[in-house]
Formats: sequence, C-alpha cells, structure tokens
Amino acid sequence: MHEFLAQLVNGISLGGIYALIALGYTMVYGIIGLINFAHGDVYTLGSFFALTILTALGVSGELHGVALVVDVAIALIGAALLCGIVGVLIERLAYRRLRNAPRLAPLITAIGISFILENVMQIWKGPAPVSFPAVVPNPSVMVAGVAIGAQQFLLVGLAVVMMVALQLFIHNTRLGRAMRATAEDRDAAQLMGININRTIMLTFLIGSALAGVAGFVSGVYYQSTWFFNGFGAGLKAFTAAVLGGIGNIAGAMLGGFLIGIIESFATWKFGGQWSNVTVFAILILVLVFRPSGLLGEAVFERA
Amino acid sequence: MIYAYFLIAIAVVVVAQRLPDKRAKRALFLALGIALLCAPLFDRNDATFNVLADAGIFVLLALGLNIVVGFAGLLDLGYAAFFAIGAYTYAMMASPQFNLHLPFWLLLFLAAAFASAFGIILGAPTLRLRGDYLAIVTLGFGEIVPQIFQNLTKYTGGPNGIGALDFPSFFGRSFGQSTIPYYYVVLALIALALFFAYNLRDSRLGRAWMAIREDELAARHMGINTTAVKLAAFALGASFSGLAGVVFAAKLSLVSPDLFQFQVSVLIVSMLVLGGMGNIPGVVVGALVLVLVNNVVLPQANTIAASAGLHVDFGNYHFFIYGAILVGIMLFRPEGLLPSRQRKEELHHAAA
Amino acid sequence: MRLILATAALAALAACSGANNASTSKNTTTTTTAVTAAPSPAPPGQVVKIGIDLPLSGGDASVGISTEQGALLAIDQAQKNMPHGYTLQGEALDDSVQGVHNPEQGVSNVRSFISDAAVLAVVGPYNSNVARAEIPVTNAAGLAQIGPSVVADNLTIGPDAAQLRRTNPSMNTFFRVCTTDSRQGSALAQFARSLGFKRTYIIDDNETYGLDLADRFEKDFTADGGTVLARDHLAKNTQDFKSLLLKVLAAKPDVVFFGGVTSTGGGLIRKQMFSVGLGKTAYMGGDGLADLGTVAAAQADGSYYTLAAPNAQKLPAARAFVKTYRAKYNADIGPYSANAYAAAQVAANAIIRAIGSSKGAIPARAAVVANVAATKLETPIGPISFDKYGDVTNPVLSLYGFKNGQPYFIRQIQLKL
Repeated sequence: MHEFLAQLVNGISLGGIYALIALGYTMVYGIIGLINFAHGDVYTLGSFFALTILTALGVSGELHGVALVVDVAIALIGAALLCGIVGVLIERLAYRRLRNAPRLAPLITAIGISFILENVMQIWKGPAPVSFPAVVPNPSVMVAGVAIGAQQFLLVGLAVVMMVALQLFIHNTRLGRAMRATAEDRDAAQLMGININRTIMLTFLIGSALAGVAGFVSGVYYQSTWFFNGFGAGLKAFTAAVLGGIGNIAGAMLGGFLIGIIESFATWKFGGQWSNVTVFAILILVLVFRPSGLLGEAVFERA
Repeated sequence: MIYAYFLIAIAVVVVAQRLPDKRAKRALFLALGIALLCAPLFDRNDATFNVLADAGIFVLLALGLNIVVGFAGLLDLGYAAFFAIGAYTYAMMASPQFNLHLPFWLLLFLAAAFASAFGIILGAPTLRLRGDYLAIVTLGFGEIVPQIFQNLTKYTGGPNGIGALDFPSFFGRSFGQSTIPYYYVVLALIALALFFAYNLRDSRLGRAWMAIREDELAARHMGINTTAVKLAAFALGASFSGLAGVVFAAKLSLVSPDLFQFQVSVLIVSMLVLGGMGNIPGVVVGALVLVLVNNVVLPQANTIAASAGLHVDFGNYHFFIYGAILVGIMLFRPEGLLPSRQRKEELHHAAA
Repeated sequence: MRLILATAALAALAACSGANNASTSKNTTTTTTAVTAAPSPAPPGQVVKIGIDLPLSGGDASVGISTEQGALLAIDQAQKNMPHGYTLQGEALDDSVQGVHNPEQGVSNVRSFISDAAVLAVVGPYNSNVARAEIPVTNAAGLAQIGPSVVADNLTIGPDAAQLRRTNPSMNTFFRVCTTDSRQGSALAQFARSLGFKRTYIIDDNETYGLDLADRFEKDFTADGGTVLARDHLAKNTQDFKSLLLKVLAAKPDVVFFGGVTSTGGGLIRKQMFSVGLGKTAYMGGDGLADLGTVAAAQADGSYYTLAAPNAQKLPAARAFVKTYRAKYNADIGPYSANAYAAAQVAANAIIRAIGSSKGAIPARAAVVANVAATKLETPIGPISFDKYGDVTNPVLSLYGFKNGQPYFIRQIQLKL
C-alpha cells in the first residue's frame, strides 16, 4: 500500500508536467488542427530560459524568504513570457503562411522547427545535460506514510491553477470567446468580425507560455535539463492530449496526469523498459474503444 | 560523382513529369532505367552503390507509404514498425540466431506477407478512427514495435540486435561484401513497386481510395466498403516496407532496434510531403532529395564547404540545416516539389 | 561561453584545413596512383587523412562531440611529427540520422572513407551496434579502425567476432583503446566488494554498453558472494526515474549499480536518488559515469566509477591532455575524449611509422594496419599496445570516487588475462 501511494504521488507529479505541455498541444490543435511538433522543444526552451534568468540573478542554490518568492516569480514569468514570444514568432514565421496549405505541410514545417530549436539549444548550452540550480527548498510532509515534497506541491498546484485560469479565461473573456469561435468555425468567426490572426497568435502565446511554465517547473523538479528532453516529453504530452480528447482543455489535464500515473505504475510493476510500451499500448486501446478520447473532443466548449 | 547519380535521376523524373507526351515520358524513364542498370559497368565504387542502394530502399518505403498516406489519405506515423518487422524477419530466419538459414529470395516474400499481416492486425480495429487518431495509434505502434524488439532479448538479441546475417546468393554466388548486387536487387524491387503502384492507382481499388480520401462519407454512400478498402491500403503499403526491410537487413548484415525509431517514420512521411503526396514521381523525388541531404550532403558538409573555400564547421549544425530545408521547402512549395495536377486541384478546394 | 567554444573549434578547423586546402582536391588522384604504383616519394603538400566516424547530431551529440574533439586534438598535435611534405587531416563524418546513431549511416561513412585513398585509418565509432556493422566492411577493405569507446566483448573475441571478420579472416583490422565489458564488469565487481558492498540493485539503460556491463557486473558480483536484489532497465526518452528509484528504496541496497552513461540517465538517476531518500546510498558505474560531476555536482559524492587507465593524476600525458583540451575547446573533457585522443594518437603514430618505412612514399593501408597492431605508445590513458584480437594488453583499471563533485583516485588493479 505504501509503495502504491508513493508511486501514485510520483505519477501525479510527473503527470503535472505532461499536463502543462499537453495544454499547449490541445489548444493549438483545437484552433488550427496542427500537431505542433515543435511544442516539446518550446518546453525545453522554457527550462533553458529559466536557467539563464536564474544565472543572471546570481542564483546557484536554494533560496529562502523574499528572495525565493521574487526570484522564482521572475524566472517563472520570464520563462513563460519568452516562450510565449517564441511561440508567437514560430506561428508568424512558419505556420501562418501555411494555414490554407495541404494539411500535412505545416506538420513537416513543425518537425523542421523542432530540429532547428533543438540545434539552437545544443549550441547554446552544449550537447550534454546541464545542471539546474535547486532553487526551491524541498521540505516534505508525510501523508499516509508517503513523503510529499514542497516541489511536488508546487508542480501539481501550478498545473491545476493554470488549467483553471485558462478555463476561466476561455469562458469569461471576449478573447476567450473569440478563441472558441475560431476553433469552431474559422470562416464564420471571421465574418463575425473576429480578428483571426490575433486570436491564433494569442493561442500560441498562451500555449507556449504554459510550456515555458512546464520547463521552469521541470528544471526545479529534476534539477537538470537537456536540449533533447523535449522530444520524449512532447511525444508523451501529445498522447496525453489525445487520450483526454484533443481540443479539450480539461481532457489534456486529465490525460497528462493519467499518462504520468500509468508510466509510474508500469515502471513499478513491469520494469522501466516496459513503461513506454505500456503507455502507448493503453493509448491504442483507449482510442480503439473510445476513439474521441476520455472526455471527448469538445472544442474549448464542454469540460 | 555520387551527386551526379542523384541529380540526374531527380532531373529525369522532374522533366518526365512535365512532358505532355506519354510516349516521350516512357522513353525517358526507360533511358534512366537502362543507364542505372549499366552504371556499375563503368563505376565500381562500392561506396556509391551503397548510398544508391540505401536511396533505393527509401524510395521503396516512400512508394509503400504513399499507398497508405497519398492514395488512401490515412496518416501513418509508425511506418518504420513494418520496416522493422521485415528486417527482423530476415535477421531471425537467415542467421546463426536460431540457426535457420532460409534463402533471401524466399524471405522477401515471407517478410512482405508478415508485414501485411501486421498491417491488417493493427488496421482492423483502428481504421474506423478519424485521421488524427489513426495517426496517433500508428505512432504508438511505431514506438512499441522497436521497444519490444529491444526488450525480448532472448529472441531478438535485445539492444545488441542480431548480427552476421547470411549473405544472400544468386544462383549459388554469394553477394559478399560487395554492394552492387544489392543495388540490382533494389532496382528490381523498385521496378516491381512502380508497376504495382501505377496499376493500383488506376484500378478500382485506387479509385475507391481516392474517393475515401476526398470524402469518406460520400464514398460510403456510394457503396464502397470503406473499412475493407482502407485495410487493403494498409496491408499493401506494409508489404512494400517488408520487402525493403529484408534488403536493408541483408545489406547491413545487422538489425538492431536503434535502426527503426520514430525518427525513421517521420523521415518517410517527410519524403512524401516534400515530394508531393499521392504523386508517384513526386514521392520518388522526395525520397531521393532527402537521402541526398541526410546521407550524403550533411555528413560531408564540412568537406564540401572546405572545397568551396569556406572554413566552417557544419558538424554542429546538422539539425539546424536539415530543419531549415524542411521549413524552407514547405513555406515556398507547400504542395511538395512535384505534386500531381489532380491532387493540387483537390487541395485548393478542400484543405481537409 | 558556448559561442567561444564554437568559434574556437571553428578557428581550429579553419586553421588545419586552410593551409593545404588548395592541394586537397588535386592530390586525391595522385594518391590513388601512388598507392597502386611502386613507392615513389610523396610530392610536397601530400594530404593523408584519419577518418572519424561518430554520432554528432541529435541526442547522441551529448557524447559524440566531446569524443570527436579529443580525436581532432590528437590529429592536430600529430601534425608536427609528420614527415616532410605530409599534412595530416581529420575528416569527421556524422553517423546520426535524424538525431539517432545509425549503423547504416556508419557503414556508408566508412565506405566513403574507403573510397578516398587519402584515408589511411578510421577512428570510431561510438556505439557498439555501429561497430558491429562497420567492422566487416573495414575488414574486407583492409583499413585500420580504432574504436575509442566500443566495449562489447564480441567485437574482438569469440565466434561473433570471427563472423565479423568472415570476409577476410586472416586479417584483423579492428582495434580498441577502451576496455571490454567483461574486464570492466569484473573489475567493478571486485571494487564493489572491496568497498564493503554486499547488496546491490542493478539498473541499466537498455543500450548495448550499459546492458552488457551490467550483465557482467551482476555475474561477477554474485560470484564474489554479493547479493543482487533486483535488476531493472530504463525507458528511452524520459526524465523521470523516481518511480524506479522508489522500488530501489524499498529493496534497501548498499549500492546502486548503473550500467550506462551519464547522458542516458546516469546523471539524472544520481540526482533523483536524493529526492526519493536514497541520497546516502552509494552509486557505482563504469567509465560512462566519468563525467557525472558535470551534471550532479556535489550530489555526485558517494559515487564511484572505473576508468580503463592507470591513475590519471599521476600520468603527465593525462594532465597535459586535460589542460590543452580545456584551452582549445573551453570545455571540460567528455567521458571518452581521452580515449578518442588516444585512438587518434595510435592512428597518427602508425601512419607516421608506415611512411617512415616506405621511405617517404604514401604507405599502403595494410602497412598502417600492421603498424597499428605493433603499437607501443604512451597516451593520456596509459601505455597502449594490442593483443592479436585488437584489445589492449595488460589492462589496468582504476577506481575513482567523488569529493565535492570532483573525481579522486582510489586505487587501481591490473587484471590477469
């Protein structure tokens, strides 16, 4: 039982990262139907930005008190903002021209952008894994005999807060309604006077900023980052989005946590080498028996 | 020298595509075929024919995937899995692994059959899914298959793979370390694949695929058994990669899971999209261009730059250059380098 | 800082190819005739090359590039010993395709080296699978190949290795300056027992190097009276090993053994051991963990690894190498930089001796192979000479630990063969 709980907690923490990345996948897919393969690399970029900001602030170890709050806030917001800008730039430079092109053209472009980002990061911080400072102290509380660290609370808390905020934004603001309308029917939305370009830009801004948040959080949680991390994490986050029902924000969240938990349990029960096999096998089964994903592919509406 | 082969082949295909006259077109292809057949008489460089045989293997793969993605419009992101199945078939049945030494030529057929069987097993439950979901299911399959080969160490050699595969032989003469026999086998298989691909395209089945690709609902109302037709695309497409897998394994004399990762599937899809999906000559060009870039130009970028008087270390920028090429071509020619006329029109009407 | 590194590497490359660039293309044809025809003195400005085949892009770049740089440094330094009229060049080809090391691309690279008559030896590859595909090709062509890091036993000895040489069984062209899995695995088991460890939990990265090393360690550790609690493998493309480590925690080992390299999970596992409460448990692995300090910093303390070389702190060649490497690339050496340096040194040295005995003419490849086989050389990883299979003779393995994130020498053993 104890080990079960420990694995569950670990799976949820891991899932929090997948969930944050999956949000970006699902939003972009919901609005322009693109599998944005470069999204995983934007996530890695987030950890690189955060690392650079922390280094610039002179942070190299654990922080406490005011410094903790201020420096973490600067790094978190900075990474999110910079990633958001990168996301917008990618959309503007690479995807916008292809909005009416054959459907697979932007997919290949996204793969190309992914390679470019990976190479830029490799040149930037070197080809080997890089150490990330342990900024956030990690005192743990015992819950039913399982130690849960402060970082895990932070990680899962941030993921949930982000999702709720996103949900509120999409349902209660004009811009959010514009996003939903664009996702539903782009031409009709345009006729209703919605600025399509701006709306899509906003989608990329938010999605990429969330990936930036995920990048920061994973840097803190794993205390290391590597230019190639985004490939694996992106692949799994995308499956998470599909598992939950692509285009569905709550679904992305649910899918992310589930993939994290499945991965954790598969490692526990079947051994590490079977964890990916299990994740993808379950994914296939879910899609075969419930093709629209767990929560259905509501386009920004339900949920 | 190696560039000459690629550039001439690409040029011939591109020119032929533009010729209005069918007979002239055929003559041009025939000339290219004869030239390729005779090439080893004049050029005995193993390295050249090694790369050409590789390029041919990718042409085969691209032609096979084109049936699935280009003709039937089903996005398959795990095509490398079938390639792996073909390769492991040869490795397990023609090596010291189980002390089976079945002949290469028999295994070509067996592997094609196995690969299509797996295509059917995977396709039967999943082909009713919408396009994007199918993409993910195939992606998952593509992730699982090499991982299983990696984990079942007892049978597959695990991460080490299986080595020292039998050299194929032709009327008692072993291929040995020479790459030229493989080059000929690949040429023959491509000819066969082209024959099949063209005939399939113009067959009843081919028209059914096209109907599904354009509008699945309408196709069903017209009385097309969409599931069966899609399954046929999956099985036939997979069989091509089974063939390719056998030649690939025999030529390398080794299989290991690292040869069939997700990136390979992505590479083959890129070939299709770059070349012009659904258009057979386009797909061939796409495969040739990407093999040229990936296997010839990029690894030698430094040497090429140096001979042009540039002293730049490209070694660190492979991914950047490759990515930029993909993005560049897509931005300026989203329909691919060599799209079919029909397909182009289609795409202008419905982007789905 | 990386920019400086890139520029430095660039400048170096420019410098070494710039001087003789003009003659490169012209001389290729001359070379061909020189090899086939009787020995004739080389014309001034003759270029000979050492081919380098390593994974240089994508995920494998993390180890491939620092390995390449080690080899290039040795080639650069060998320049001053070249006979009059000769220029030695390194030509590096990438064996990654779409970011994954690829045996097929490795073969393709090796074949293009073979077709370039100026290439007299090859350094590489990095991965055992790539080696397994390449060895039959270099064997058939009679081109010397020196592996810096491929440790799988069956590349040199046993029936599998014989199969790799089946085209040209009488000739061995493959040599390696690194150790083998069986040597390192059993040395690690001895070290582990000598450190007082009784219970181990073994994890490997499910790649050829890690898996084979862990297999051997498991066997020898058990034979030495230790207990192997469990064995596990890592998944690809993941950052999270905590759930695996929770299993380890429950098993209560004295030492966690890792078969693999820092970048395939070795570094992250050490760091994550601290977050699941295994920070005080010892951690141990092979030479793939030599750069653990760069990722784990002070958390590396309590970890051990082996190097197939005598005490590096006492070898002047090793100290000089680390210093020069740092100065040239503005980076710390990677886990196999020194090995690659030694491999290229062996190749360059054999080429120089072969030119010497051919009285200044371009030597035949077979002469280079013979000279590699007869190598006796001081390198940053100790003195190197080869047995008839191409493995180093008199293997010395050293145990290192970490203090404040820096490695320190503990002791060394000489394995009996």
